[in-house]
Amino acid sequence: MDFGFTPEQEALRREVRDFIAEHLTAEIVEELEGLTEGFGVSRSVGRGPLVSRLFDEIAKRGWLGISYPKEYGGQDGDRITQYIVEEEFARVGIAVGLAGSGAPAILAAGTEEQKRAFIPKLISGEYSFALGFTEPQAGADLASLQCRAVRDGDDYVINGQKMYTSAAHTATHVYLMARTDTAVPKHQGISIFLVPMDTPGLTVRPLWTIQNEPRAPLGTTYGAYRTNETFFDDVRVPKTTLLGKENEGWGVGSMGLNLDRVGAARYLISVRRDEDIVNWVKTNRFDGYSPADDPAIRDKIAELWIEAQVCRLMTMRSMSIVEHGGHFTYEGAAEKIWAPEHGVRTSEAITQMLGPYGQLLNGSPYAVEKGIFAHNLMGAFQSGINHGSVQVMRDQVARRGLGLPSARRAGRPEAGR
Amino acid sequence: MNLLLTDEEKMLRHTAREFLEAECPTTLVRAMETDPLGYPPALWRKTAELGWQGMALPETYGGQDLPLVYLGIIMQEVGRAVAPLPLLGTVVAALTIASDATPAQREAILPGVVRGDTVLTWAFTEQDPRFRPDTVQTRAVVDGDHLVINGTKLFVDHFTAADHCLVACRTAAGSGHAGLSLVLVDTKAPGISTTPLVTLAKDKQCAVVFDDVRVPRANVIGRLGEGGPIVERMLDRATVLLCAQMLGATRKDAEMAIDYSKYRVAFGQPIGALQSIQHICADMIVWIDGGELLTYEALWKMDQGLPAGIEVSQAKAFCNEKCEAVVRFSQMIHGGIGFMMEFDLHLWFRRVSAWAMRLGTSYEHRARIAHALIDSPGTVVLGRPVPVVVAV
Ligand SMILES: Cc1cc2nc3c(=O)[nH]c(=O)nc-3n(C[C@H](O)[C@H](O)[C@H](O)COP(=O)(O)OP(=O)(O)OC[C@H]3O[C@@H](n4cnc5c(N)ncnc54)[C@H](O)[C@@H]3O)c2cc1C
Repeated sequence: MDFGFTPEQEALRREVRDFIAEHLTAEIVEELEGLTEGFGVSRSVGRGPLVSRLFDEIAKRGWLGISYPKEYGGQDGDRITQYIVEEEFARVGIAVGLAGSGAPAILAAGTEEQKRAFIPKLISGEYSFALGFTEPQAGADLASLQCRAVRDGDDYVINGQKMYTSAAHTATHVYLMARTDTAVPKHQGISIFLVPMDTPGLTVRPLWTIQNEPRAPLGTTYGAYRTNETFFDDVRVPKTTLLGKENEGWGVGSMGLNLDRVGAARYLISVRRDEDIVNWVKTNRFDGYSPADDPAIRDKIAELWIEAQVCRLMTMRSMSIVEHGGHFTYEGAAEKIWAPEHGVRTSEAITQMLGPYGQLLNGSPYAVEKGIFAHNLMGAFQSGINHGSVQVMRDQVARRGLGLPSARRAGRPEAGR
Repeated sequence: MNLLLTDEEKMLRHTAREFLEAECPTTLVRAMETDPLGYPPALWRKTAELGWQGMALPETYGGQDLPLVYLGIIMQEVGRAVAPLPLLGTVVAALTIASDATPAQREAILPGVVRGDTVLTWAFTEQDPRFRPDTVQTRAVVDGDHLVINGTKLFVDHFTAADHCLVACRTAAGSGHAGLSLVLVDTKAPGISTTPLVTLAKDKQCAVVFDDVRVPRANVIGRLGEGGPIVERMLDRATVLLCAQMLGATRKDAEMAIDYSKYRVAFGQPIGALQSIQHICADMIVWIDGGELLTYEALWKMDQGLPAGIEVSQAKAFCNEKCEAVVRFSQMIHGGIGFMMEFDLHLWFRRVSAWAMRLGTSYEHRARIAHALIDSPGTVVLGRPVPVVVAV
């Protein structure tokens, strides 16, 4: 076991940190705060001129797509180095890594043509994906999705509706899960398509979240961003948009989803408030009252801090597994239970420490740190719902990790995703 | 960075597990609960042959000079087997001697430890149960080239089986670390009397009274009156290795519950097919994993010579609560049978629960962490070391 980083990795971390200190100006932060995309703004959804220029500088240093092969625009680097860079940027709300659903899945299952067409542009930020998984009647039980893709000559024709397609309004493509066979068990009739967003018949309607009015401040878990409903009406795409084999989309999708559940960004959104509250407690006085002297607050802060370390270590374990070519049996799911639930516990505990100040939202007089703790209380919970809810993740740990049997009750979803 | 076990570490774990499964059945564990000595000397000598006692001791004295992480793996297996061995007390005292004693003191003690001829223990806690140095009231007064010790120590492990004990004493007036000394005491010295305690773990703890016990001055570890930091390091090692032992026992305990749930049928299906049971099992494993990650990070930091006090406290505060919760859920999953004397599960339940009460409560360890986080100057940053502040 080795919990340390090499001197080169430590030096790189310092370099990234110095870069951020130098380049993340107040003007860029203002531009970032105006955006309506998910946690981690990438170049393609950044749009603003300052953020774009910042990404040019990041790219120049070779910090995009570090662990991807050189031939597809990457750096042939290792996964741990990429993690270090991702972690430092995630702290300031910038995504330099690529989600699991997308580039890694294309690398694993794509044709040579698809790899060349997508990976370099995903790395450079020219392309980005929205995730078209969830439907009105298929959430945690994703495999019961109904959106249909029907083969017609050299094309597929897609009809259906997707829910909560975050970033669909800025993405170039949708990474779509659709049903290609209705006659087989539900997991066996699913395929993945890489569909350009500008394909005729594809429309996007915004869904605003409870974080938008007033706007959640930058860095909030599930902050001020817009998600969408996406409608597919006779959307015709060539068969070359199919990723992997027809009806084998479940396996391809699961692999990507597993990676989406782990990593720097997911861990940091769950633990950043721990750091904030310690620093707040250290520096705030109210007339004669100092929260730093309250034994109950001190005890709770230490408890949260310990939990945050477990989040960090579980992420490091997942990264170790990824880097050394292993597969998750339950470790990714473990991380996806622990970190989001910690995020909820910490949001609740912190608002108790703040008492009535805990209610104040962004822009309110007397708001603490732009109301981030109140906003986080609203947002933290979502991390335990999406990409495999904590209940589904527990099913996975129990059944895949511990070999517990499936129940005999009818209609029970399997712990596949 | 690689948090997975290396092949060598896996091999060590495998060998230790196979050895204890063969040599330490639960019949032996039960027998030692009522045995006056409290440990099987034959097994103790075999573990010495495997190199456990000397694993992290210097090669000069016959040890293997391996990292504490390796010793952690061994302690986990000892916990898994709930092996009634005086290993924790012996290695913790021996490591303190190896790091802080004079060459003559090391030469006198360590080779015997490595061979399995010597059992060691240490004594810190007194009547005031708090896990902090101000509670030490036992006095050691210089008298020529001797020290004269007077006081009472509680909860001392395996004192009657041990040959020597490292005793934390106050050699000068003061509170906290000030005026503390760590003294190597022959457990058979005149003036020592012991009273056995009847414990939840049914292990061999006792109260030890020192009544004008004369010890050569040369037995002080480090400089007289400056033993505070030595004691703190000793307790940190003891605490983190106890975490490893707790986690080994807790994982085994959880595995028994998980297995049981696969075969115990209720309402027409195995109880392990019920989601309420499955989710508890999932949490049990996630918590144990979390405790292991915290524990091994602390051990790893010690191996690198980095400050690890906060990491030790993180591990113990977490293990105290999570290991206790796991063994409680395991009892719950077993229904009534877990409460029966003839069923083995309680061997783990009672020990893990007792270990959670020793070497610092969750509150105390969290107070130490809070002190470092809140009372230090400047801001804290996640993932970077917490500033070191002097112990309270
Ligand atoms: C802000 C936001 C952004 C999102 N972005 C995207 C996106 O970009 N792309 C996308 O495809 N989706 C996205 N999602 C959707 C998200 O993945 C789903 O919300 C999630 O899969 C849960 O589905 P659901 O909301 O339909 O809840 P349901 O599936 O109806 O679940 C409701 C509750 O039932 C529980 N439950 C379900 N099954 C079980 C079970 N077997 N055992 C016990 N309990 C169970 C769930 O855990 C949950 O608590 C987003 C959601 C939000 C809120």
